[in-house]
Amino acid sequence: MGTTASQLDKGMLSEYQELTFLTKQEILLAYKRFSELLPKEETNGLSYRIPMNAILELPELKTNPFNKRICMVFSTSDSHDGSLSFDDFLDLLSAFSDSATLEIKSHYAFRIFDFDDDGTLGRQDLEKLVNCLTGGTVDTSLTPEEMKQLIDNILEESDIDKDGTVNLSEFQHVISRSPDFVSSFKIVL
Amino acid sequence: RRLPSQMSIHDLPHYNPSLSDSRGIQVPVLSKVELWKQEKLKKLRKFQTQAREFLYFLVLWGKTIQKIGGNFGGGVKSYFLFLRFLVVLNFLSFLLIAGFVIIPSLVFRQVGTSFMNSTGEVLVKSKICTIYEPNPPGLVVFYNFFLDLLSGTGFMEYSFMFYGYYNNTMVGNSSFSYKIPLAYLFTAFRLTPSFLTGRSHSMGSAARVAVATGGSTVVNYSMIVFNGWNFGCLGETATKLKQKNLLYRLQVDLEEESLKKRAASLTLLKKFGLHSLRLLMALLVLGLNIAAFYGIYYATTYSQEQQNKRVNKESDGVQDLFFEYLPSIVISVANFLVPLLCDQIAKVEHYSPSITVIVALLRAVVLRFVGLGVLLFTLWNQITCTGNMDDAKCKECSYNYASYACWETRVGQEMYKLTLFDLLINIAVLVLVEFPRRMVVDNWSSKVSQMVGRQEFVVSSNVLGLVYSQTVVWTGALFCPLLPLINTVKFVILFYCKKITLFSNCRPPQKTFRSTTSAFFFLVVLLLGWMLASVVMIYSIAVIHPSRGCGPFRFSDNMWSIIPTSFYNLSAATQEFLFFIGSQAFTIPLFSLSGLVMCYVIALFSIYGKSVGLLRLHIGHELTRFFSIFPFLL
Repeated sequence: MGTTASQLDKGMLSEYQELTFLTKQEILLAYKRFSELLPKEETNGLSYRIPMNAILELPELKTNPFNKRICMVFSTSDSHDGSLSFDDFLDLLSAFSDSATLEIKSHYAFRIFDFDDDGTLGRQDLEKLVNCLTGGTVDTSLTPEEMKQLIDNILEESDIDKDGTVNLSEFQHVISRSPDFVSSFKIVL
Repeated sequence: RRLPSQMSIHDLPHYNPSLSDSRGIQVPVLSKVELWKQEKLKKLRKFQTQAREFLYFLVLWGKTIQKIGGNFGGGVKSYFLFLRFLVVLNFLSFLLIAGFVIIPSLVFRQVGTSFMNSTGEVLVKSKICTIYEPNPPGLVVFYNFFLDLLSGTGFMEYSFMFYGYYNNTMVGNSSFSYKIPLAYLFTAFRLTPSFLTGRSHSMGSAARVAVATGGSTVVNYSMIVFNGWNFGCLGETATKLKQKNLLYRLQVDLEEESLKKRAASLTLLKKFGLHSLRLLMALLVLGLNIAAFYGIYYATTYSQEQQNKRVNKESDGVQDLFFEYLPSIVISVANFLVPLLCDQIAKVEHYSPSITVIVALLRAVVLRFVGLGVLLFTLWNQITCTGNMDDAKCKECSYNYASYACWETRVGQEMYKLTLFDLLINIAVLVLVEFPRRMVVDNWSSKVSQMVGRQEFVVSSNVLGLVYSQTVVWTGALFCPLLPLINTVKFVILFYCKKITLFSNCRPPQKTFRSTTSAFFFLVVLLLGWMLASVVMIYSIAVIHPSRGCGPFRFSDNMWSIIPTSFYNLSAATQEFLFFIGSQAFTIPLFSLSGLVMCYVIALFSIYGKSVGLLRLHIGHELTRFFSIFPFLL
C-alpha cells in the first residue's frame, strides 16, 4: 500500500474504526479507492472534496438509479453540490456496510428516497421513487393510471396517520417487516 | 465532544462540523466494555457468513446453482435445486437396494446351492406356469445387442436389472439369516420414511413463512417499492434486468387488482355469460384430455399385442422398436400438444394472471399423472385379464401366462423404456430445437425471428417433467431394482444438458416466477406422484399373484405373504411386542393422541394468522392515537 497508507496513521485508523461500522481492511480499501479519484496534484486526501461526477464513476455507484441521491444525502458540503470528502465517503460506506443496523439503514434509505428533502415521502417522492425502480424512460414506466393506483395503494398500506405522506416511523415500520432489507441495502467495495 | 459512537464520524477533532446538527442522530453512549463486545459480535457474524459461504461451495454443484440463481433468478434456481434433490434421493435409494438386495444376491449366487434352501412348497396348479425362458436360443446379431439395450429384452432381461433374475434365496444358520424376498420388499418401502422426513421439514418451513407474512394473497406494494432495490446490483445489464423485473411485477399486480375490481362490478348477465363460457372451455379441456387418454390406452394395448406376437421373442428390427416405444411416444406427444392447446383456450377464459398460471399447471399435472395411470391400468388389464380370474387365459396361473411369462419383468421393462425415452426426447429437443433456434435468432435478423426471440426457460413444465420421471421410477423400482441408478445417471446428464442450454440458448426471464409458493407447489406435486406410485406398489404387492416362473416370490400367493411367514420366525417376545403395537389397545390411543396434536397445531396456525392481522390493526390505532395526542411530533 506504500504511500497511501502513510497518510492514514494508526490513531486515525482506530478512530475511524470506532466511529463507523467498517473494519480496518475496509477503511484502508476505501482510502485506496478514494485516493484514486483524487486529482494528481492533491496531496492531502483527507480534506479534499471530490465532486459528484467523479464519485459517480465508481463502478459500484455508476449504474445505481439512486446514485445522485446517495451523493446528495451523504454530502456535507455547504454548496449542496453532492461532493464528498473522505469522511463523507466513509459515512456512506459505513451506512451501506454489512454490520450497520436496521435503524441506521432505514434512516438513510428514507433520506435517499426523500427526493425533495422535506422530511416525508409525499406523492411526488413516491412517483420519482417508482420511476427510479422501473427505469424511468417512456417505455419502461407505468402508465399514469397505474402510477396513481400504485401510489394510492402504497399510501393506504403504509400511511397510518392518514396525512397523505409517509414519514420516517411509518417507513421504518414497513421496512422492519421485511427480512432481507439489510442484505439488499448493501454496497461493498 | 460526544463520546465515541458508531453513528457519525464527524466528531473527529480535525473535522469541522458545519451541518452536523441537521443529521445528528441521538445514540446511547457506549462504554469500553460494550464497545469490545460489539467488536467481538461483529467478528463472529463475519466468521459465520464466511463459513456458510465456504460450506455452500462444498455442496454438490453449489457454485453452479449459485451462478444460475444470480443470472436467471430464483425460479430457475429452484428448478435446479429440485433436480439436485432428486439426484441425491435416487442415489440414496440405489445404495439401499444395492446394499440389501443386489450384493447379497450376488454373494449368495457365487456361494452356491449348499447354503440355500428355498422354503415353501410348490403349489402349482400346472407345471406349465413355472416355465420361463428369457434367453431364446439362436444367433444373436450384433445390432440386436443395441436393440436389446433400448428395450430391456434379451441379455438385459435376465440380469440384475429386472425382477425376474432374483431368486427366492433364504440363507440361514444359527447366527445369521438373510432372506432375499424380505429384503426386496423392505427396500421397496424405503421411500416412505426418507421422503416424509426430508420433505415434511421443508414443507413445514414454507407453510411457516406463509403464516408469518400473512399469506401470499395480499400483495404488499409498499414492500415491493421500499424494499425492491438491491443496492449491490452491479453493471448495466443487471440493473436493466432488475428494473424490467420490477416493472413487470408491479404491472402484473396492478392488473390483477383492477381485474378483480372489474369482475366484482360486472352485471349479472355478463357474469352468467363469463361463467358459462368458462364451463364450456373446461369441458373442452376435459374432452382433449380424454382423447389423449384413449390414445395412450390404444397405443399401450397395441404395443403389448405386438410384443406378445413376436416369434421366438427375437427383435425384428427397428419396426419392433417403434412398437415397443409406442406408449412413450404417445405420452410425450400428448404432454406436448395438450398444454399448448390449453394455453390457447386459456386466452378465451379471461382469468386473472395468477389464476391462469395455477389452472394451466393443474391441467398439466392432471394430464401427466392420469396418462401414466392409464398406461399402468392398461398393463394391469392385460396381465390380469381385467381382474377376471375365470377368463380362459388367466385361469391356470392366476395371471395371463401366455403373454406374460414373467409379468413383473415386463412392467419393469415398460418403466425402463419410459425413463429412457424421456431422456432421449430431452436430448433430442436440446439438439434439434434449442440450438438451431438460437442460431437462427442470432444470425438471421428478420421480423419473425425478432418476434420469436431466444427462448425462455419455462420452469413449471420442466419441473412437471421431473416429477413425472420420478413417479415412473418410483412405480418401476419394485420391478426393476436398478432403475434408481439409471435415473440418477439420467438426472445428472439432464442437469448438465439443461445447464448448457440455459447458458447458451436462453435469455434471462422477463417475468419473475414466485419462488416461495412455487417451492411448496413442487413438493405437493411430488407428493401426488409418490401417492400414485404407492397405490400401484401396494396393489401389486397385495393383490396380484406373483409370477410362478421367476423372481423371489414365485412360491407365494402374493408378495405380502412373506412378511407374515417371517414374522412367525421371530422370537416370542418380539412377536408379542409387535402384536401389541398392532392391537387396538395401542393404536386407538395413538390415533386419538395424534388427532389431538393435529387439531392443536391447526388451531395455533389459524390463531397466529389472525393475530398477525389484529396486531397490524392495533399498531395503526396506536399510532393514530399517539399522533393525535402529540400532533406537533408529526
